[in-house]
Amino acid sequence: MDEFLQSLIRGLGTGSIYSLLALGFVIIYKSTQVISFAQPAFMLAGAVLVSYLAPQVSFFGAVLVAALVIAVLALGVERTVLRPMVGKPVFVVAIITIGVDVVVRVVTNAFIGLDVRQVGDPWGLTTMNFLGAEVQQRYLVMIGTTAVVTVALFAFFRYSRIGLAMRAVAYDQEVALAQGISVGSVFALSWALAGGLAALAGVFVATGAGVDQQLWIVALKALPAIILGGLESLGGAVVGGLAVGIVESLFGTYQGDFAPWLGPNFALVAPYALMLLVLLVRPYGLFGKREVERL
Amino acid sequence: MSGKRLAVVFVGALALAACRGGDGAAPQEGAGGIKVDIGVTKEACPNAVDKSKGCIYLGTISDLTEGPFKTLAVPITDAQKAFWKRVNDKGGIGGYEIDVTKYVKDNKYNPQIHNQVYQEIKGNILALTQTLGSPTTAAILPDLENSQMVSVPASWTSLWGFEEVVLESGANYCVESMNTVDYATDKLGVKSVMAVHLAGDYGDDAAAGAKMAAEKRGLSFENVTTQSGQDNQGGAIDAVVSKKPDLVVLTTGPTDAAVIIGQAAARGYKGKFIGTSPTWNPGLLKSPAAPAIKALYLQSAPWKAWATESVGHTAMRAALPGVTPNDGYTAGWVWAYPLKAALEKAAANKDLTRAGLLAAVRQLNSVDYEGMLPSGAGNFSASPQDALFRQTLIYRPDDAAPTGVTLVEEFFTGQTAKDFKFEKPCYQ
Repeated sequence: MDEFLQSLIRGLGTGSIYSLLALGFVIIYKSTQVISFAQPAFMLAGAVLVSYLAPQVSFFGAVLVAALVIAVLALGVERTVLRPMVGKPVFVVAIITIGVDVVVRVVTNAFIGLDVRQVGDPWGLTTMNFLGAEVQQRYLVMIGTTAVVTVALFAFFRYSRIGLAMRAVAYDQEVALAQGISVGSVFALSWALAGGLAALAGVFVATGAGVDQQLWIVALKALPAIILGGLESLGGAVVGGLAVGIVESLFGTYQGDFAPWLGPNFALVAPYALMLLVLLVRPYGLFGKREVERL
Repeated sequence: MSGKRLAVVFVGALALAACRGGDGAAPQEGAGGIKVDIGVTKEACPNAVDKSKGCIYLGTISDLTEGPFKTLAVPITDAQKAFWKRVNDKGGIGGYEIDVTKYVKDNKYNPQIHNQVYQEIKGNILALTQTLGSPTTAAILPDLENSQMVSVPASWTSLWGFEEVVLESGANYCVESMNTVDYATDKLGVKSVMAVHLAGDYGDDAAAGAKMAAEKRGLSFENVTTQSGQDNQGGAIDAVVSKKPDLVVLTTGPTDAAVIIGQAAARGYKGKFIGTSPTWNPGLLKSPAAPAIKALYLQSAPWKAWATESVGHTAMRAALPGVTPNDGYTAGWVWAYPLKAALEKAAANKDLTRAGLLAAVRQLNSVDYEGMLPSGAGNFSASPQDALFRQTLIYRPDDAAPTGVTLVEEFFTGQTAKDFKFEKPCYQ
């Protein structure tokens, strides 16, 4: 039982990271219909920034500043690089985001230098007793933070005027524009939110062993998460991320005992297998919008 | 000018460009009566110390921007620039200076890109002073052989022992892991071994060596493949924690290693980890996994670390003032010695053509590494079995050391490596 709980908490912890990243993907997708492949770079940049700021302004101050700075950076990228592409095919815009990703990563890599950098978080690999099992504190922090961020985001979209405007744009850009909503501001804000979330996710990834230039690869795990949850659903992003984390962790722990014939690294494939299973039953993801196309 | 004429001029220019310095250029007589063909010019190098000397161009294909080994590749490349500058400052080789700055290309650790950039520079260089990575170099290997392009690898796979054009240095991953298992058996009393490694010839070569040693020493052996990426180590950690081997031989990247060691220790694992040199980065000593790393980890190494006192190490440190100590520099510097020796031999033979350089390589029965490797290292004239370098060092983490590691075991050859018949690459 202890082992199961430990594995579950590990899965929820890493799943929280995937959720934060998936939320960013979904927020941008909802407002602009584009999957932004620049998220991995923002995640890396956030973690690197914290590694520089933490010694000066404490870890928590650094995380706050880094999330804001990366949000502004993402907003700047949207305004300068992507705004001229409004109305162009989404495929073209998605490819441009790959270019943005490479540029931001190469610049960020220059700041990583030769040594693995540390974010200076207070948890390290310290464990604590949680419902009778020894689990790492950092996983609990990840789960808690993601829960708070998710609630705050939902409240923002539900109750704030700009949140409402973002939902309106997600429904129908032209109608929203006709109602006096600045669609451009919504695009910019969605990029900023996604940037901030990616930075936070990057810091959490780096709490285990530090920041190296390969950190960005983790962001790709958010892709099965958003497909699983449904591209348009914020709730789906959170559930998808957590599901990917849990499946990965439980398979890692138990598959070797119960299904060794699947090979030693099936845990890495398991999220994709889960995604395929879900898509077979629900082609638009768990919470995705069912598209009706009239011919 | 009409369109047609323009097209003719363009095609003519293309044809000229294609001919210039291309493969198959006829040998000519260069400075001092030395025969030269490709990549050697009468004109001085771009940043020549002595403008009256000709220039030997060497190419570098490395992982310089966004690939996974950038943190090793950049210091390797910088160290080699410093190495060849020192050679030039000392008068060059055979009336020529050596340029390693003009043809430096980024492979992003991608075999296709590696091949592409190699094709871009191969008509302008005599040899490659660096071709980084095993799968990347494998992508150009047939061409290297056909072009007689002597090449210095930045990797330690056992395949290089069978490639005439490849000038490898130090023990390969396979031999290093054999020595690791023998060391752990003799000094730490281990009875069970697990190889946790990346797929591909870096990890597979090391795992093959560890397996051979485990079989020879009668130890139980487990083989666990993992992928790079901090979030992808769950399976490896679970394997270590559940099987509890006495020794884990690691061949991964540094943060992968730190995640595995830190998490396995946090989950109660108390055995030993010994990682090959690419698993190490001094930054790990500040990571949350540092206590576990200090308690459980040792590093195997093909040559001595940055701060060692030897003629070569001292010259390297003097040539690289102000840099953050990193054993990527040490690797780049050490790897350059055999090519220097081959160029000197070829110059003495009055033949600095590609074929002449390869012939000189075949005459090298030892290379002077200025104390960075023991005497006898760098034999390229004998059979793979006789030429194989079989010695390894063991280091442990140490906060006080410049590159974070301190020597615990001098150059040694374990029982398995000593008796090993080197007849094919270990992972095949």
